[in-house]
Amino acid sequence: MKGISAIKNFFKGLPQKIKGIPSRLSARFAGAKEILTQGNGKVTASMLVMGLGQLMYRQWVKGFMFLFIQIAFIAYFILTGATDLFGFFTLGTREGNAWYGIEGDNSVVMLIMGILAILILILYIAVYISNVKDVYRTQCAVDCLKKPLAFKSEISALLDKSFYKTALALPVIGVCVFSILPIVFMILIAFTNYGDNIVPPALVDWVGFANFGKILSLGQFAPTFFKIFGWNMLWAVLSTAINYFAGLGLALLLNKKCVKGKAIWRAFPILAYAIPGFITLLGFKFMFSYGGPINYYIQQAGGEAVGFLGLDAKWSARFIGLAVNAWISIPSTMLLATGILSNVNTDLYEAARVDGASAWKQFIKITLPYVLFATTPVLISQFIGNFNNFGIFYFLRGGLYVDGYFLASDTDLLINWLYNMSIDNNYYSIGAAISLVIFIITSVISLTVYVLSPSYKQEETFR
Amino acid sequence: MNKSKAKVAKAKTKKILNVLITYCILIIVAFVFFFPCLWLILASFSKSGSIYSFDGFFPKEYGLDAFKALFTDTVMYNYPKWFLNTLFIAVMSCVLGTLLTILTAYCMSRFRFKSRKAMMKTTLLLGMFPSFMGTIAVYLIMTQFNLINQQWGLILIYSAQAPMGYMVQKGFFDTIPYSIDEAARIDGASNFTVFVKFILPLSKPMLVYTALTSFTWPWSDFILPKMLLIDKDLYTVAVGLMSLGETEFARFAAGSIFIAIPIIVLYFCLVKYMINGMAAGAVKE
Amino acid sequence: MANLSLKHIYKVYPNGAKAVNDFNMQIADKEFIVFVGPSGCGKSTTLRMIAGLEEITAGELKIGDTVVNGMEPKDRDIAMVFQNYALYPHMTIYENIAFGLRMRKIPDIKRYKKDDKDGHKAGEPVLGKDGKEIPVMRKYNKREIDEKVTEAAEILGITEYLKRKPKEMSGGQRQRVALGRAIVRQPKVMLLDEPLSNLDAKLRTQMRSEIVKLHKKLQTTFIYVTHDQVEAMTMGTRIVVMKDGFVKQIDTPKNLYKYPANKFVAGFIGTPQMNFFEGTLKKDGDKVIIDFAYSDAKITVPYSMLMKTTPQYLDGTKTVYIGFRAEDVTLEPERVAQSPAKIKVRISHSEELGTETLVYGDINMDGDGFAETSTRVIIKSGGFKEYMPDTVCEAALDINAIHLFDKDTEESIMPRIPEYNYLDCKVQNGNITFLGNTLPLPPAIECGDGVGEMLIPVSAVNFDGGIKAKVFGSENINGQILLSLEINGGRIYALSEKVIEEGIVNIGIDFKKLILKTDGKEILPMPLTNGLDGTFVADKGANRGEKIFSLLIDGVKFAAPEEVYSKMFAATTGRKVYNSQFRYEWSPYDIAVADSGLKAEVEKMLDYGKEKFAKCRVGDETLYVKADKDIEGTVFLSPDAGKVSVIESQRQIRIV
Repeated sequence: MKGISAIKNFFKGLPQKIKGIPSRLSARFAGAKEILTQGNGKVTASMLVMGLGQLMYRQWVKGFMFLFIQIAFIAYFILTGATDLFGFFTLGTREGNAWYGIEGDNSVVMLIMGILAILILILYIAVYISNVKDVYRTQCAVDCLKKPLAFKSEISALLDKSFYKTALALPVIGVCVFSILPIVFMILIAFTNYGDNIVPPALVDWVGFANFGKILSLGQFAPTFFKIFGWNMLWAVLSTAINYFAGLGLALLLNKKCVKGKAIWRAFPILAYAIPGFITLLGFKFMFSYGGPINYYIQQAGGEAVGFLGLDAKWSARFIGLAVNAWISIPSTMLLATGILSNVNTDLYEAARVDGASAWKQFIKITLPYVLFATTPVLISQFIGNFNNFGIFYFLRGGLYVDGYFLASDTDLLINWLYNMSIDNNYYSIGAAISLVIFIITSVISLTVYVLSPSYKQEETFR
Repeated sequence: MNKSKAKVAKAKTKKILNVLITYCILIIVAFVFFFPCLWLILASFSKSGSIYSFDGFFPKEYGLDAFKALFTDTVMYNYPKWFLNTLFIAVMSCVLGTLLTILTAYCMSRFRFKSRKAMMKTTLLLGMFPSFMGTIAVYLIMTQFNLINQQWGLILIYSAQAPMGYMVQKGFFDTIPYSIDEAARIDGASNFTVFVKFILPLSKPMLVYTALTSFTWPWSDFILPKMLLIDKDLYTVAVGLMSLGETEFARFAAGSIFIAIPIIVLYFCLVKYMINGMAAGAVKE
Repeated sequence: MANLSLKHIYKVYPNGAKAVNDFNMQIADKEFIVFVGPSGCGKSTTLRMIAGLEEITAGELKIGDTVVNGMEPKDRDIAMVFQNYALYPHMTIYENIAFGLRMRKIPDIKRYKKDDKDGHKAGEPVLGKDGKEIPVMRKYNKREIDEKVTEAAEILGITEYLKRKPKEMSGGQRQRVALGRAIVRQPKVMLLDEPLSNLDAKLRTQMRSEIVKLHKKLQTTFIYVTHDQVEAMTMGTRIVVMKDGFVKQIDTPKNLYKYPANKFVAGFIGTPQMNFFEGTLKKDGDKVIIDFAYSDAKITVPYSMLMKTTPQYLDGTKTVYIGFRAEDVTLEPERVAQSPAKIKVRISHSEELGTETLVYGDINMDGDGFAETSTRVIIKSGGFKEYMPDTVCEAALDINAIHLFDKDTEESIMPRIPEYNYLDCKVQNGNITFLGNTLPLPPAIECGDGVGEMLIPVSAVNFDGGIKAKVFGSENINGQILLSLEINGGRIYALSEKVIEEGIVNIGIDFKKLILKTDGKEILPMPLTNGLDGTFVADKGANRGEKIFSLLIDGVKFAAPEEVYSKMFAATTGRKVYNSQFRYEWSPYDIAVADSGLKAEVEKMLDYGKEKFAKCRVGDETLYVKADKDIEGTVFLSPDAGKVSVIESQRQIRIV
């Protein structure tokens, strides 16, 4: 009910939001307008050549730094930037041919270098704007009879007032290159025909939404997609619920007054938590393999070896997956819940005891709401993590292709299918399109949950 | 009189039953979590390597052959080298990644700048992308910058991606009262001094938690090293162990134990910090 | 060790919310000022602006003689104590106190570090080429820090805890450490933000007197924020009562209690809360009948006791709040018997507090005496007296302690310095007669013959006229002397600069401030502020690099002196000062008629006898200008840019 009304409110507020756009836009550009109309000659100088205005104000170091950036950027642009940028749109014009010794264009590399060029261009524009803003700020100061900032005091401001600029510079660049760029690349790949037999040296081209159409309509992709998607949702919900409640239960159990030697009991789950995931997974794979110990005992008992993780072991493999995932994930939930439980106000329990509430009632009425409130963000990230849990079935049943599925097995999640198609079978563009779909699904689910959660509603009220 | 006595007695039996059930569950839990580990340990001491020569969970004969082979038979599988590679990559990424993560979280918690909200939303969104599709791009970037088949390339990726998970740390910093910053500022400290002299010492549990998580990730990751490292001599343990088959099970188990032990030791030493850090990061007030 | 000056301080948040409005105050050295008010009233924001933790939107803040707007907290030489102590948890108490010293640099002169071969001894000053000592900034050395920390610890009695960590200490001890951290630097101003709110009641009382003691010992200016009026009353030399971002009253504790300027202050200061009734006042000859609403209670008091009451409220139609403190109502039979002001009260219950008993009752016989209504009454009575519930008894009100407030504005209608003297008057042939005196009306006041009322502002009564008046009382109200004068049996108030003992004085009236109401016609006083809209511009001066800043009004520039433009720069960010609309205000005395300037049309000359003013029109605005001689037609006006007051039109903030 709450969710519906929240969504309703969102749409109700929409017309007003749209109406507010012009005024907000004009507010945003008010600063630019001010600079354009009120800037003096030195501001114009900096607009033409970065740093020139600063130099005219005798801010030597800063001026030369801006000038250097300008020169460096122009040099980059002339040397490679322009061609990279151009290549982003064409994705190569000359096909390579080893027979004739032609070294052709590598479309994929061109795409990625194109994105990089765009990123650098954006960065350059940001620096350019800050350069103009900076010289205008100096003009303001001078016009209001204040001294332009000395370079030394600007440096000390970078350690004090604008320490965040200094501190965030590296992380932002790192995230841009190694997180944002790859994701942008992947999104763009979804709109090309890269993959199958079109891989370099063949030329890749933009194809628009064709890949999405293929997933939904084409015989080989569509049924597999929907089958896997259904199992993926079931998996994510089940495994998140199992891990969450089992972890919470374990924490509560260890929190009981009658349990002696809590540290020792807690050590066993932590042991499981500490072992690297791939070791656990490979270990379990061996355990359930044909020659593994489980089958050994079955054979000892006179039975026949069972392919728990074999080709036609649909449900047994799924159950093993859930169990193994629980084995790996429960301890971390337990640790988290232990920490949170130690923060619960014990007065509440005492009050509840005086009121005659049973242990179960106490759990439902006090513990659960509090823990749920505190862990909603974690719960969401666990859900996403499980939705995209690549490792479990990659290790347990990696490389299996089952009838009725296109390049996938009946336990594979979307992400495994993605891997099979793109890494193992070169269906890059289809893979990228699928990952976009995954992204849209997960983000819609988690944003909805997040917006409805009490933790979100209380965000910015902490000061 | 009698009735109340009976009531007390009933409550007592209920209590004992409760304790009994609790311990039963605990024992089962302990067994479930401990047995696979025990199995691995036993397997590492088996004389013959293959899993087919076991009596169920237990090896037929015990010996130190697997360990010996692990460290001496380095022609095919150079385990000591892999181990050192992993250690180097994990330690370097841990140091750099922790630094960047903590800095990011501190800025997001303590400063109110224009693009802050936008950045927070962007990272939230980016976190929902199935990350390894991007690894194709990462691979291409690394080839362009000639960082393929180099350990520093891996370290660069691990530490550059670490700040994406700054939310937990931000949540922790949010719980450190703002008035401490203000008192320090009045005392004459700059924001940099506040960070170094107050925030860092006050967030030890969080530092430990961050360091641990950014150590374990490269320590046990296999996708990136498998893709970026070609030379067998540069392999990390995860990639190396994955190339072992069922017939080399004892060696796999022995190798696993060696790679698990450092992390287990770290976890047990730091479990207090872990609990505090996780809880503080999760609770948003 | 410094005085503070807050002039027109505003805090406006980006969303337009005004947290602090036009805060004005002069704080003398060594004062103990308390800001008090309910949460969200802007008291903490004001304190944080003084500390430099919050930016000042507009206004001027001076500590000592320096304007500190925009200065970093560490450069303001202030110290602050926080509500949650804000001790550094990972440092020992010693380190906590010493940290501020370690960060600070002090002026010194360059000295030799060790003995050298030229015969200089260690510690001897190094002399520069000109033979003078070389000033340098240095850090405190270990010994100095040690001394200062020990001294501060001794003052606060925490010497034995210096090696401990904050979490090993109790709340009271922690607060002492926080105080120690503040005093060790010997700041000019100590700022305390609700420092006792986290302590329990007993400790709070104890720390309260310790802080007062500390103030006496340190001889420093203290500014203390609290929401607790008891703390405010017991500690402050002066108290600032705030509500919703506005200053409600600034006064000494005694004056706040005795003469609250509005209902809010009256209700906020003092426990139990003042009793407020609604009612009307009706003047009947030399008596005033007070009629309580929702009740049959009615008392009659002599008019002489309500002399200062603004007369509009005495016609029996306007509802007012009538306030009596609990101790000004009594149930004691002998005092009730003597009192002229008795009301019936139905007792509902009582609270025995040992030394006294609070009796709750209602002057409405159907009221329950529990809910806070305008008929509920709380009466303070001696200790351990029993009052049966539901009995009806008579209570006496102490009329001398009555407080009256307007029902809508809640401002006092019986201010300590009344705004006007209300007198009956008669105008005939250009002469005005009041209180047996007849004066010629100045030509500027054009009034036909008739009978009516005149309102003479108290400030308009001067001492250079020909009316003889007998002084029969004088009162010092915050430095202003209010004289009560008698003229032929009537009474008027006047303000004087010096105390005048009993005797006869000659008084006159400043006619330009007079309000005259005769036969339905009302003559208003001449406005004393002239507002003009304009902007602010800069021009190149004659010399290179020189700049002239001017106020631009109607296309005419008036060069602004430094004290004006520096304040305008301080109140605006960036180049906003050049793009904003301002309203410039001058008094008629600061605008001169000159050869050039604003072009104005003289509409009329106003002759007030001793002074003459010209009523001029500049565009749509009407200006009043002091003129020595009659002028007419088109003239040029030249306002004195140095005496301008400036209001920023967009935010409605007074910035000069």
